[in-house]
Amino acid sequence: MSDVEILLVGGFMLAGVGLYGLLVIRNLIKVVVAMQIMVKGVLLALAAAAETSGQINLGQSMILTVIVADTVVAVIGLALAVQVRRVKGTLDVRELSELRG
Amino acid sequence: MADLPAFIWLLLVPLIATPFVYLVGRIFDVRGNLIARWAALVVLGVTWLPFILAVLDLDQNGADSYTLGTVTLRFDELSLLLAALSLGLSTVVVLYSAAYMQYEGRQEKYYACLTALTGVMIGLGCAGDLFNLWAWFEGMAIASFLLVAFYHEQANALEAGIKYLVQSAVGSALVMLGIALVLANTGTLDLVEIRAAAGDSTLLLAAGALFVIGFGIKAALVPMHTWLPDAHSQAPSGISAMLSGVVIEAGLIAMLRSVAALAGVSDAWGEMLMVFGVLNMVVGNLLALRQTQVKRLLAFSSLSHVGYMLVGLGVAIYANDATGAQGSLFHMLNHGLMKGLAFLAAGSLLYTLHVAAGSHAPLTIADLNGAAKRYPLTALGLSIAVLGLGGLPPLAGFMSKWQIFVAGFNTHESWIQALIVFAALNSVLSLGYYAPLVNALYREEESEAVVKGKRLPLTMSIPVVVLSVAVIVIGIWPALLRWLAEPAGDALLATFGF
Repeated sequence: MSDVEILLVGGFMLAGVGLYGLLVIRNLIKVVVAMQIMVKGVLLALAAAAETSGQINLGQSMILTVIVADTVVAVIGLALAVQVRRVKGTLDVRELSELRG
Repeated sequence: MADLPAFIWLLLVPLIATPFVYLVGRIFDVRGNLIARWAALVVLGVTWLPFILAVLDLDQNGADSYTLGTVTLRFDELSLLLAALSLGLSTVVVLYSAAYMQYEGRQEKYYACLTALTGVMIGLGCAGDLFNLWAWFEGMAIASFLLVAFYHEQANALEAGIKYLVQSAVGSALVMLGIALVLANTGTLDLVEIRAAAGDSTLLLAAGALFVIGFGIKAALVPMHTWLPDAHSQAPSGISAMLSGVVIEAGLIAMLRSVAALAGVSDAWGEMLMVFGVLNMVVGNLLALRQTQVKRLLAFSSLSHVGYMLVGLGVAIYANDATGAQGSLFHMLNHGLMKGLAFLAAGSLLYTLHVAAGSHAPLTIADLNGAAKRYPLTALGLSIAVLGLGGLPPLAGFMSKWQIFVAGFNTHESWIQALIVFAALNSVLSLGYYAPLVNALYREEESEAVVKGKRLPLTMSIPVVVLSVAVIVIGIWPALLRWLAEPAGDALLATFGF
């Protein structure tokens, strides 16, 4: 495998780690962290893809955009977590299961 | 600046105006954010001007494109359909929200997010490359997170907001992984160039699957639908109307655009859409049957309506027959009107029965008992909406479902005809939960909530009346929307290479 392929596969694996984290983690703050890990994997994969296709500039602008958008999502996620803690007094996602069916 | 095409102004006006709506509302914080509300209404009103210019431009010169640096925006008939739907519905919703939100604090955020949401959805329709499509999609997600969790003191709204946020974030990450695969394989992100460059490759097929799952989360394809009933039922009613009427459809259009670019990779896209269509119809209808809360019931019915659209699109792509795509997009418009009407009318009742009394209790079907006596217009509006959604002639929903079914029968393939019969049976089944709503509204004995109900503000009745008239008129005279739906269906099929 070439370096770039390793980077691409590594990005996918890191995203997989983040996705696994989202499935098992019960603390809201850690859920946001798992989301961040997933997006970091995506960034690696994007960088590798841009390198393979020889479009470094495109890759850079994409990665910057993703970082910005992802930061906004993380901020909203953390704000919601703070608000959940205020209203319900816990960060456990198992307590957030009133809406069913 | 002056030589920008009209459609660029169409998406720039709401986006540029968003911070001003927020700031004006924030600085002149008088009488329940009156200023922010008017600012949003003026902005959306002004946006209709470039909309009309863009319609004329499209009519005369055909699809247009504009390139800024490496970013290409293309405005075709499908973009126009999405722009018409989002701009029309958000104008009605802003009118409606004036009374509905009057007791809430910090409304400038609500109106700013609503104008931003409108702008990014118009932009999403115009995206010419995959990354651009993702960026607009993410913008739409961010604007709608804030609106879903607008009641941030309510535990249930927070729960809905978090479910929506986490699932959307996973979806957008999966889409980005798909984009990375496409870029590594074809060396381009332009939707048209990808279609030319894409060969028969397993990796591109994987990218297609990632797009279907990622965008499908926002389009509420079963089994990626679990955020939808919570978000729709917990958001303010105007936002429920926007989410159900436009946002999930925008997700669907994003999915179709990305899949169309990979049309050459597999010839099973049509079948795949039909399978998701069947799943959506069955799950949506069966789960809606057992709901007792009106807004949750309407949310599940959105799932089944996405199912009808998917069946029509699947038939169109499978059989290369534009009728199905035209019918689906016509149904998309009708669904936006009918579901918008249903959520606004149900929201009016929720407002008079609960919100105006300072309660955040959900509106149950039992609460509706006898509501027609005190609120005749709203009850009539809700009845028209749900009967139209159930597909009773001569309302709008019947016409578009009929067109989808006709397209299915025209394929002359027995399994598709069986599928259409199944869809028609589902449509009948859906009356099983729409009819009890109408029944409850026109009962003799009034529920406790109706007896104690407050007076309904006039500004909440106007949007309900306007949308009711639209649903009836389009049902009797479907040609009224043909200029929007038919070219859009043709444009969509053209992007699939037919």
